[in-house]
Amino acid sequence: MDWGQLPQYLVLGVQLGAVYALIALGYTMVYGVLRLINFAHGDVFMIGAYLAYYTSMVWFDRHAINPYLMLGMMLLMAMIGCAVLGVVIERLAYRPLRSAPRISVLITAVGVSLFIEYAGRLVVQTSPQPSIVQEVNVLAKPMNIWGINVEQSQIAVLAVVLVLMGLLFFYVTRTSMGRAMRAVSHDFNTASLMGVNVDRVVVVTFIIGSALAGAGGMLQATSFGSPLNTFYGLLPGVKAFVAAVLGGIGNIPGAVVGGLIMGVAETAVVWAGYAGYKDAVAFVILIVILLFRPGGLFGSTAEKV
Amino acid sequence: MLGAFLAGCGSGNGKDGGETGGTGGTGGAGTTRTMPTAEGNTADGDTIKVGMIASLNGENQPWGVDSKKGAELALEEFLAANPDMKVQLIVEDTNSKPEGGKSAAEKLVGEDRVLAIIGEVASGVTIPAADVCQEQAVPIVAVGATRVDITEKGAAVFRACFTDNFQGAAMAKFAYEDLGLRNVAIFTDRKLPYSTGLSDVFTKAFESFGGKIAIEEFYEGGNFDFKAQLTKIKEANPDGLFCSGYFTEVGPIARQREQIGLNVPMFGGDGWDSTKLIDSGGTGITGGHFLNHYHNSEDRPEVKDFVAKFKAKFGAEPATAMGALGYDAMNVVLTALKASGVKNSKELIGAIQAVKDMKGVSGSITMGADGNAQKPALVLKVEKTGFVPVKQIPFFTFEEKK
Repeated sequence: MDWGQLPQYLVLGVQLGAVYALIALGYTMVYGVLRLINFAHGDVFMIGAYLAYYTSMVWFDRHAINPYLMLGMMLLMAMIGCAVLGVVIERLAYRPLRSAPRISVLITAVGVSLFIEYAGRLVVQTSPQPSIVQEVNVLAKPMNIWGINVEQSQIAVLAVVLVLMGLLFFYVTRTSMGRAMRAVSHDFNTASLMGVNVDRVVVVTFIIGSALAGAGGMLQATSFGSPLNTFYGLLPGVKAFVAAVLGGIGNIPGAVVGGLIMGVAETAVVWAGYAGYKDAVAFVILIVILLFRPGGLFGSTAEKV
Repeated sequence: MLGAFLAGCGSGNGKDGGETGGTGGTGGAGTTRTMPTAEGNTADGDTIKVGMIASLNGENQPWGVDSKKGAELALEEFLAANPDMKVQLIVEDTNSKPEGGKSAAEKLVGEDRVLAIIGEVASGVTIPAADVCQEQAVPIVAVGATRVDITEKGAAVFRACFTDNFQGAAMAKFAYEDLGLRNVAIFTDRKLPYSTGLSDVFTKAFESFGGKIAIEEFYEGGNFDFKAQLTKIKEANPDGLFCSGYFTEVGPIARQREQIGLNVPMFGGDGWDSTKLIDSGGTGITGGHFLNHYHNSEDRPEVKDFVAKFKAKFGAEPATAMGALGYDAMNVVLTALKASGVKNSKELIGAIQAVKDMKGVSGSITMGADGNAQKPALVLKVEKTGFVPVKQIPFFTFEEKK
């Protein structure tokens, strides 16, 4: 353990954690509104990564486009495509079960996840597994800030995440739709009796949550350049779920803090010399939080969405 | 997502299976291997069925598809040259997963009653399949499974490729003598039996040549973020980076290595062999070296002949060395079948053992009692447009210093 190196690992951890936070927001929002753990959320993230890849291929072949514009296009396409996917999932899989026992919906969520992972192979390219080419990531240049190696892309990832979260916070707290969302989260039935269009609130929740997951998929796939497959969202999805539980599921700021803690914990483990436990640390955190503070760091008393 | 995650826990990891399964000797080359006790499969009538297990989907798909093409080409040629023999090839997909290798082998041995199995390209997938074959007395000729202990399972297990014992030692020699490296970092895929085995041998060999291992770090297949471990490696200040994993992760590792400013040469084993490596590695991977079984541009007549025929049949040159190894593995079985004329899988084991000096595309193949082909290896350099042969390393036996 070299303390002088710790800030470097924090930078890496924040980059990871920012993306976990994006995914965790979707988990937490859907849970807040529907009391449903949307297990297909990690797969929406995966589709976002694929949409970014396909967008990069379409535009990359035409060369002339400004690389920054292309990154923007990739982000936009991933978010729009995932928002549509989120609406479709909600309409086809969850809405018919609105009054069914919660366990049925939960099992359906697992089914949707498996369906996307396996049937998705027919739609997206998995053999050979594609990866977003290096030239696309024009922000990968390293900079040296006080001896710490920081990439422009890390700053960009953090900036995108902060902007999206700011917008979300504004939307939830300052608009009438946001107020409706909070009302539904507070009490589903009473809100509907008071004239809140509950179905609309649920759809909007899925649109926002899925778009954020899509953005996460694009950021992750572009900055790390790993080959994509239909299981790409599996581990990030699980970690983000833990992040949402850690922050207190249903709690928006909690999801953000939880995501950042998850990311930093992962790199801190490597810094401490236990790289083999990089993935395990998420589950250790889950067990500890369930044992000692089942409501999450921010408890269940905080305002929910 | 949770369901798939639980299912995912069982997959991808073939290491435990490799250590529990199998009977067989414990030593390396030269020890006698246990003959299976089962009766084996006997051919019904004239047609001899040969099975093949290949990763036609999943991470190893570029290799699996090539190995299948190679085997098909070998069979086509054989049938044209020997019109009196009837051999049928049945191919099963393993999905690049150890449990896929097991179920594919069980299906081929139990239902199709094949006399021999060709495959797999990956050590982790071959291990459970080899257990099935050894138990049922059906010979298996692995295409690209280089992990050392695979052929120690018993007499029914063979391979057409070199082992990691040679591969790791050859790469250590190249790194020490040709690249001039003295203080190397190792980056291992903890979940991949091939990678852990290769890293072990490399460490021992490199140290025996007088080099030092600066640090060994680990990742898991399917990870996409390696920056934290690479930063750790950078702290150890190595002069080279040995990546013993597959191209699927080595590509992103190379790209991220460059991003965090770890500017040392990279090198690795035959797990790098796919041009996908260049796509995902970008400028981070160019200039790296890895060891392979042969190269399409080699001058030997076997290679020229094979590449021309492959191109004529499939429209393109083989993309990876697994095309040639699939071809060689199939030819080992066909040669044994023809020379012995046996119709029983257990008798075929002896016939395959007797294959000697077969002129393969990847070199001359002599099976011998230990089931390992002894062949030279070729060091390739990664360029922007493809792989270029740099140096051939003749076969040598690496003896661990006690």
